[in-house]
Amino acid sequence: MSLKPALRPRWALATVAVLLLTTACNSGKPSADSSSSSDGTPAAAANAASGGTAIFVIGGKSDDPFWSKVKRGVDDAAKVVQAQGGSVTFLGPQTYDNLGPDAAKLVDSAVSQGAAAVIGPDWVPEAEDAAFKRVVQKGIPLFIYNAGGIEAANKLGALNYIGSDEYTAGKAGGEFFGKQGAKNVLCVNTVPGASNTEARCRGIADGVKATGGTSKQLPMPSSNFGNPTAVAQGIKASLLKDDTIDGVVTISTQDADSAASGIQQASAGDKVKLGTFDLDESQLNRIKDGKQLFAIDQQPYMQGYLSVSMAQGYLKYGLELPQKPLLTGPAVISKDNIDSAIAGAKAGVR
Amino acid sequence: MVTPLLELRDVCKSFGATDVLTDISLRVHPGEVLCLLGDNGAGKSTLIKILSGVHQPTTGRIEANGEAVVFRSPRDASTHGIATVHQFGGTFPLMTIGRSFFVGAEPTKWRGPFRRFDRKFAGGIAVQEMQSLGITRVTDGDRLVGGLSGGERQALAIARAVYFGAKLLILDEPTAALGVKEAAHVLRIIMQARQKGIAVVLVTHHVTHAMTVGDHFAVLIRGALAADFRKGERSREEITDLMAGGEAMAELEAEIESYTKEGQL
Amino acid sequence: MTTTHVAAPPKPRVAAPSGMSIGDLARRPETGALIGTISVFVFFAIFGGGQFLSAGGAASWLNVAAELGIIAIPVGLLMIAGELDLSVGSVLASSSMTVAIVSGYWGAPVIVGIVAALLLGLVVGFLNGLLVTRTGVPSFIVTLATLFGLSGLTLGLSRVITGTTSVALDPGPQAKQLLGTLVAGKFEVAIFWWIAAIVVIGWLLHFSPWGNWVFAVGGDKESARTTGIPVQGVKIALFTASAFGAAVVGVIQSILYNSAQVANGQSFVFNSIIAVVIGGVLLTGGYGSVVGVVLGTLTFSIVSQGIYYTGWNSDWAALILGVLILAAVLMNNTFRRMALSYAPRMKKKG
Repeated sequence: MSLKPALRPRWALATVAVLLLTTACNSGKPSADSSSSSDGTPAAAANAASGGTAIFVIGGKSDDPFWSKVKRGVDDAAKVVQAQGGSVTFLGPQTYDNLGPDAAKLVDSAVSQGAAAVIGPDWVPEAEDAAFKRVVQKGIPLFIYNAGGIEAANKLGALNYIGSDEYTAGKAGGEFFGKQGAKNVLCVNTVPGASNTEARCRGIADGVKATGGTSKQLPMPSSNFGNPTAVAQGIKASLLKDDTIDGVVTISTQDADSAASGIQQASAGDKVKLGTFDLDESQLNRIKDGKQLFAIDQQPYMQGYLSVSMAQGYLKYGLELPQKPLLTGPAVISKDNIDSAIAGAKAGVR
Repeated sequence: MVTPLLELRDVCKSFGATDVLTDISLRVHPGEVLCLLGDNGAGKSTLIKILSGVHQPTTGRIEANGEAVVFRSPRDASTHGIATVHQFGGTFPLMTIGRSFFVGAEPTKWRGPFRRFDRKFAGGIAVQEMQSLGITRVTDGDRLVGGLSGGERQALAIARAVYFGAKLLILDEPTAALGVKEAAHVLRIIMQARQKGIAVVLVTHHVTHAMTVGDHFAVLIRGALAADFRKGERSREEITDLMAGGEAMAELEAEIESYTKEGQL
Repeated sequence: MTTTHVAAPPKPRVAAPSGMSIGDLARRPETGALIGTISVFVFFAIFGGGQFLSAGGAASWLNVAAELGIIAIPVGLLMIAGELDLSVGSVLASSSMTVAIVSGYWGAPVIVGIVAALLLGLVVGFLNGLLVTRTGVPSFIVTLATLFGLSGLTLGLSRVITGTTSVALDPGPQAKQLLGTLVAGKFEVAIFWWIAAIVVIGWLLHFSPWGNWVFAVGGDKESARTTGIPVQGVKIALFTASAFGAAVVGVIQSILYNSAQVANGQSFVFNSIIAVVIGGVLLTGGYGSVVGVVLGTLTFSIVSQGIYYTGWNSDWAALILGVLILAAVLMNNTFRRMALSYAPRMKKKG
């Protein structure tokens, strides 16, 4: 789930967030309806005016580190679109406080500004799906990317889904672990019960199993939330308790930092390998130093780049790919490809 | 004539447009018990709040030992030797007797950064002072105040006030929540304080208790001083009538009696 | 009423100060907490096996306890004085972000970052105290507002300043030695800071004259005021202390894990209250002890870490905690009642 970095702080205040979200959904719908009923012809008009294709991309805030990489991909693909006489417009919310309704409004806004194709993430289906359906009803090609999966794309009548899949990513990580010789992998889940983190750990378990090992989940109760010491000590304890564990996977980069400390405190650095979902600078440095085995990257740059390219190819030449969904990840970053990953990070695409 | 310890002169108090007290003049002498009587809402509590510095009079003045004073806070009043003890003793149920006795004036030993609360001294003094008021059941200063009976708590509060040099004790309904025996204990303690030359203002609507210990009586009716008399000048019935706001209690009592008779028929 | 004359006060019959008896022990506020700590320790020693009893096992719960304890002790004092502080979670996050932004992102010397973070704690605590004492709004509401307000401010500012929600920090060897090292590879240096806090605050509460004010303020605010105690000053000092404790832990975690996250610390809000309540402090104020809070903190940490040594599914950890809280409070109530009803048997009049 790509929005995770942005949404994390709110898990702590989950109840309130849910309340806000619920009320926001209710209040968001009427305004979305009204804005869509007031348009009709502008799409064609805009197309005619620009003399090419007007592609609209809805995404996260561009100062969000994850989304700044997506936007780099969008911008790079836009160069081709512009060369072919089209335009690409990136629409992002000001804040993430009212994400679903805000995203729905951006979708409607894209339509009213005369979009020839719409690319959007299905973050909050309850709030956004009505707006996406209006896009499809008008005959405008729709691509779902980043969140929602191929199920959402099929349900809404979108042409494809471009993004990653938590389970697939986990499975790739698990298989990588197994190939490196890990037989007993611990999947540390600091947000047990959340569908994306459960899917990640399930994928890890199946991946490790496929290579002949086993994996179990270590669920961390909410009394540990936001406390790296409690997470580190819990991981250390599990390693001391079960000395057959030779691999640890964490669901976020901060947990990976805690796990690195826990492994060190259990004096198990030689035997226990560490892997994680997502990556940031400290993961890259640890992989480079040989203290971490791998990080699973969903390659946000490709989500932006491929979505826009797909939309342009379809609009201009009717091109469609048979791969549905079109997965941008997982890419497993290990010491084999760490140098190019670090170079990518420096360039702002990883 | 002897200068009174504390004197109120034409004190009025209003909250907004409501006059709660009008033209109250009262004198309190050392070694005397002034009983402040009155029905609920007569202005007793406002009056003691003025005496103890919680409220300031709207007009009129307060004199201590013949000099005009202004009590801006309870602390001001207490520096003039005025101590107030509330119905439940104003003590801290979950503190030890010794700690509670010395709240705000903690005895210490050692020096500098190691200046520490002298628990033994505090407990010892608290127990000694309570015993001097006849509370012999209390022997351990480390006991919690909440384990004391209502009368013992009153005694603790009074002992505390006396120990810290109170010259005027204001007791707000000290016997209201107590049984017969406990109340008698408290009345005895009041007499002991009086004997030490301390002035006592006793607020009560228990006429019998007032008559047992009072030297001087003041009756408040709707914020005004309805009567001001010395011991022996009025009978119990007269006082009761006065407290009921001047209405003849006898009539009311007769009516009550008539219902009792009907019930027996 | 035989003695109406008091010429010479009777010689006080003060109970002889003998050694601690069972009765004396039973009326101390930390007795319930001691039983709780011993019970959970024995429980996990049986089910957790050798690893739980090893140095590494002890380090597990001591490390968690130390960080929690540095917050729980001042929070406990505040609760003895009859007030709550829910804002510690956000203070922790904002202090750890402050040190990471000032010294990590802006590159100022680490001491500047530490001082800034601690100052921030002092200011927030002072404001909490000022708001509670001046407005008369219950501290539950005021500090709940601070919890949310400060978490939003931290999130917003760190995104505006750094564009991300997690900031790396290289604290350098001196700061690491002082605040974020692992003694013997296992024990956090925070344990020593915790012990220092126990000694200093324990002295203040139980031995210094000032401690008496804390109990008086929590026991009966009005009576305390009439005895001349500066009630508002005491409360403001205590709010400042609890926020300072949270800020210290924020700094310690940033330096220990070389990074800071805006979502950190939220679990400390409830964990600190749980530790304090298990430790025998009365939620409504006026009763409690530092030793009790220390024992409550240990109990909480042993339970939250001990579960990992049993090899049981840690999904159940929160259930055990819930049961423990209820049992501890019921036990503490019983002991408090015993302390209240305690009276030595009358000695025969000689």
